[in-house]
Amino acid sequence: MCRFERLCSSSSSLSFTMATRLQYENNCEIGVFSKLTNAYCLVAIGGSENFYSTFEAELADVIPVVKASVAGTRIIGRLCAGNKNGLLLPHNTTDQELQHLRNSLPDSVVVQRIEERLSALGNCISCNDHVALSHPDLDKETEELIADVLGVEVFRQTVAGNILVGSYCTFSNRGGLVHPHTSIEDLDELSTLLQVPLVAGTVNRGSDVIAAGLTVNDWTAFCGSDTTATELSVIESVFKLRDAKPSALVDEMRKSLIDTYV
Amino acid sequence: MPRKPKKHNHSMRHRLVTFSPFGRSKAMATRSRMATRGVEKHERQNKDLATSSLNGFKYNMKDKIQQSDSSDDEEFEGDVQADFVFFDPKLSDFHGVKVLLQTYLDNLQWDLSGFVDLILGQPTVGTVVKIENDEDDGVYSVVSALSLERYKASSCFLFCVFMDSKCVLELKDFLLKVCQDTDVLGKLKSLVGEHAQHVGLLVSQRVVNLPPQLLPPLYDGLFDEVGWATEDEPTKELRSSFRFKFYLIISKIYKHKNADQNRGTVKNGEESVIYNRPEDEIFFEVPSGMFSMLILCYQCANLTSIKCFCSLAHGHSVFAYMHSRLLLMRQLKNYRPMGLVMAVEACKISSFREQLHLLIDE
Repeated sequence: MCRFERLCSSSSSLSFTMATRLQYENNCEIGVFSKLTNAYCLVAIGGSENFYSTFEAELADVIPVVKASVAGTRIIGRLCAGNKNGLLLPHNTTDQELQHLRNSLPDSVVVQRIEERLSALGNCISCNDHVALSHPDLDKETEELIADVLGVEVFRQTVAGNILVGSYCTFSNRGGLVHPHTSIEDLDELSTLLQVPLVAGTVNRGSDVIAAGLTVNDWTAFCGSDTTATELSVIESVFKLRDAKPSALVDEMRKSLIDTYV
Repeated sequence: MPRKPKKHNHSMRHRLVTFSPFGRSKAMATRSRMATRGVEKHERQNKDLATSSLNGFKYNMKDKIQQSDSSDDEEFEGDVQADFVFFDPKLSDFHGVKVLLQTYLDNLQWDLSGFVDLILGQPTVGTVVKIENDEDDGVYSVVSALSLERYKASSCFLFCVFMDSKCVLELKDFLLKVCQDTDVLGKLKSLVGEHAQHVGLLVSQRVVNLPPQLLPPLYDGLFDEVGWATEDEPTKELRSSFRFKFYLIISKIYKHKNADQNRGTVKNGEESVIYNRPEDEIFFEVPSGMFSMLILCYQCANLTSIKCFCSLAHGHSVFAYMHSRLLLMRQLKNYRPMGLVMAVEACKISSFREQLHLLIDE
C-alpha cells in the first residue's frame, strides 16, 4: 500500500471532530491527567486503557501520544507546562521519567527540569506557542527559563484575582477560555496581551477550574464528560475548532493530491 | 435564591492559626471538638414542598467533655469550631456530592453524574450537610433514599428512553456481578428485580472526620422525610414509591486477613472486622436475622489509591479527607478492604434509630 493510499484511507476515517468528552476513572478533571500541545500529547499512566485510546484515536497519526508519570504521580497535567517548543518539568521529576520523556518526544521539543519552589508548573504557567502567563511569585530565573525553553514572551498576571493562572485559564494559538468571574476590563487586557480572543466560561458543568477540565491545542480539544452542550459549543467557537485541521496533515494531503491530478 | 437557614446563637468562629499545609492537615485530621453549647434541634415547621427548600437545620455541636477542657483546646490550637447546617439537596451541590460518591461502586466506570442528578432531583427526601458561611460551599455529607422502582429505566416504546436511569441499571448489574454467593444471589435478584418497588437504596456518604454526633439527627431526619413523603408527595405513584419495605445499603468495611480462617490467629486486641461507619456496625454485627436479611461481602479494588484528585476549588474538606485516609491506611495493613451490601427490613428501622442514638450519645 503506497503512502498516498494509506493517507487516503486514514483521512477518510479521521473525522476532524472538534471537542471530545471523556473521563479518567469516573473523574471529569481530564486536564489533570493529560497535557496536550501542538507537537505532542502526554497522558497519565493507570486507569483503564480507554483514556489513552481516546487520545490515540484522535491524535495518533498527527502527533505522538506518550504515557508518562511525573514525580511518580498521575497528575501530570498540573505538574508540567509546555508547548510545541518545549516542556518544563518540576524539580521532583525522577531521572527515569525525564529520560523517558526525552526519548519519546520529538527532537524539536526541549525537555527541561527546572528548580522552582512552586512545583506545580501546570497550575502556575499557562501558555501557547507564543505567549505565556505566569504566577506572580515565580522566580526570575524560572521566568527566563520559560522564555528560553518554551520560546515565549512571559507575563506575570492574575486571572479574576487568582494567582494560579495555569488553572484558571487555558489558551491555544487561536483562542482562550478564562475563569467565569473575569471582568470585561481584565478580559480585554488579557486578550491584548495574548493576542487571541478570550471568553469567560466554565467547563464540566459549572466548574471554574478551566484547565483541570479541559485540554486543548490548535485543532482539537478534550474536556470532561460532565461538560454541557452549551459549554462545549462555547469551547468549539472560541478555540475555532469547527474549521480546524491539523496543518501538517493538510499539507501532506495536498502534495499527494496534486500528484494524482497530473 | 440564596439559602437562609434558621439562625440561632451564632457562635464565634476562630480560624486556625496554622499556615503550613502540614499544620492544617494535622488540625483537620483530628476529631474536631466543638463549642460547649447545646445541641439545638429545630422543628421543621412547614413541611410542604414549596417552602421546604428554604429550611435548614443548624447544629452547634456540644462537646460532652467538661468546661475544663476548653483550656486544653486553646493550647492544642488544632480544634476547629464549625456550625453544621443541614440542607435539602439542590442542583448546585452537584460537584460536592459527586466527590463524596466517587468510590460508591468501587472503581466501576458508571454514570455517576446521572446518579448524583437523581439524588439532587429529590429535594423532599435527602439531606446535604455543609458548614455555615463556608466560602467553598463544600459538601461534607450526603444522605438520601432512592426508590429503585421509580428510577428504573422505562421501556422504550416510543424511543423515549429516560437516560437518567441508566445509572440504576448499571448499579443493579454491578451488585449482581459482585455477588459470588449463590444463596445470596437469589435474594439479591429478587430485591432488585421483582420486588424493586419496595426497595429503597440508602445512600449515605460523608467525609471521614465528620463528627459522629451529627449521625443520629441525620438519619432521623432521613427516615422522617421518607415517612412524610408517603403522605405529602403530589402524585399517588410518588407516594407509593416511598413505601419501602427494604433498604439496600452499599458500604465498605475492613476484614482481617485471617478472619475467615482460623479464629485463633487473629491477634489479641485486633478485631475481625473494622467498620468505616458506626451505623454499619449496628446493621451488620448483630445476631443474624435481627436487622440484615442479606449480607454480601465482595473484594474491593485497592483502596489505597486516593481517588480524590479533584479540583483546587474544593479546598480543605477534600484535603482533610485524604489525610485521614492516609493515617487510617497505615493502621490497616493486616486488613483487606471489602465492599458490603446489606438489605435491612424497613420495619426494623425504628430500633436501628434507637441503637444509633445509644451508640453515639454515650
